[in-house]
Amino acid sequence: MDLSVVSRNLPYLAMGFAVTLETAALVILGGSMLGLLLGLARSGRVPGLRHCAILYIEFIRGTPLLVVLFIVYFAIPPLIGHRFTAYAAAVIGFIAFIGAYIAEDLRSGLASVPHGQIEAALASGLAPRQVLRLVVLPQAIRRMIPALFNQFVRLLKFTSVASVIGVTELTGATLAVNAREFKPLSLLTALALAYFAACYALSLLGRWLNRRYAIAS
Amino acid sequence: MEYSFDWSVLWRYREQLLNGFGLTLALSLLGLTGALAVGLVAGAAGASARRLSRAISIGYVELARNVPLLVHMYLWYLGLTALRLPAFWCGVLALALYSGSYVAEIVRSGIQSVPAGQTDAALALGLSSRRTMTRVVYPQALRIVAPSLAGLFSQLIKDSSLASVISVGELTFVAGAIEGDTFRTFEAYIGISVLYLIAVTAVSRAALFGLRGRIVEPAMRY
Repeated sequence: MDLSVVSRNLPYLAMGFAVTLETAALVILGGSMLGLLLGLARSGRVPGLRHCAILYIEFIRGTPLLVVLFIVYFAIPPLIGHRFTAYAAAVIGFIAFIGAYIAEDLRSGLASVPHGQIEAALASGLAPRQVLRLVVLPQAIRRMIPALFNQFVRLLKFTSVASVIGVTELTGATLAVNAREFKPLSLLTALALAYFAACYALSLLGRWLNRRYAIAS
Repeated sequence: MEYSFDWSVLWRYREQLLNGFGLTLALSLLGLTGALAVGLVAGAAGASARRLSRAISIGYVELARNVPLLVHMYLWYLGLTALRLPAFWCGVLALALYSGSYVAEIVRSGIQSVPAGQTDAALALGLSSRRTMTRVVYPQALRIVAPSLAGLFSQLIKDSSLASVISVGELTFVAGAIEGDTFRTFEAYIGISVLYLIAVTAVSRAALFGLRGRIVEPAMRY
């Protein structure tokens, strides 16, 4: 093991790490929004919307992430006549992917709110929209914290797949350094430790939030 | 839209696609076998009363599952070039070690969900502690965790697509090759996602069917 190869290339690798964290942050935001919309459509009573959501969720959940990324980066551009940069394609692909999983978690979160609460809220004169926003969603989301952070950690790991379509995030940067220096064992061990630290920190944050905000069922 | 579809490309490349599909299934099945072997041991260690076994199990689980599968693949493929393992087996190893940590967590929670009274009763009846585990705790725990394990297997089938980056010629790799030959990108990738969808759906349907009536709720009376 020769760790000097890591310290020699630290600025470049740190840049890659920053791209990884930035991607993850963007996808956490975008994926949560998409998940919220899809989850509501999936649990709602509008038939056309609900079936579209089911179809989308089932398709994404049955397809590997790498294939979703290839579809967004290679297969969609000829159809719409517009090319994405690799980075944009990766962010879109990740959001499209993780949104379907978050939607499923949201659905079980919504279902876990006792029906009596909805009836009580309606009986006390809230509009259906207000019931959703003020009564059901806050409780569903607080119950979802562990599942949600599971998805976020998964997503942070998945950002490594962006290297396959040529994004120079942490994994891409490490592979580029390796191509020049050929020290795979040192570089990949350091890479694994960096992901471990980031993912572990994110799951600790999730546990902390859960202790603070979870509702005992 | 100027793109004209040509789905016949999938039929022309049916042999490659079937080979790739076969390799995907082989990769997933071997990966699952390895993951079960690793995960059953690590999960049992994680639920054990001995502090050292628990610490080792937690260390493995946290290390393995907080590192991306792609990095596992590269680590076994590029990092251990000295071993000269073929790419296929590197992929199996990576899948087994990565998914093994998830199996370990599932198994550990399954063992812990078997009521303590069952262990006490078995010991009081004079079973040795080993037989208490193999005859009383494990059979119940495995029934409890069977649905989660089925879910993990569908996940594993999709995860195996990452083996394409270390040049294992499975389904995703074949799609890349078809694309390179014909530029039929859309058809190739939609085609293989349908194949993945079929495999994943088949696994979850088979699990649903095979487990019907056999799933045991935790803490059910006997």
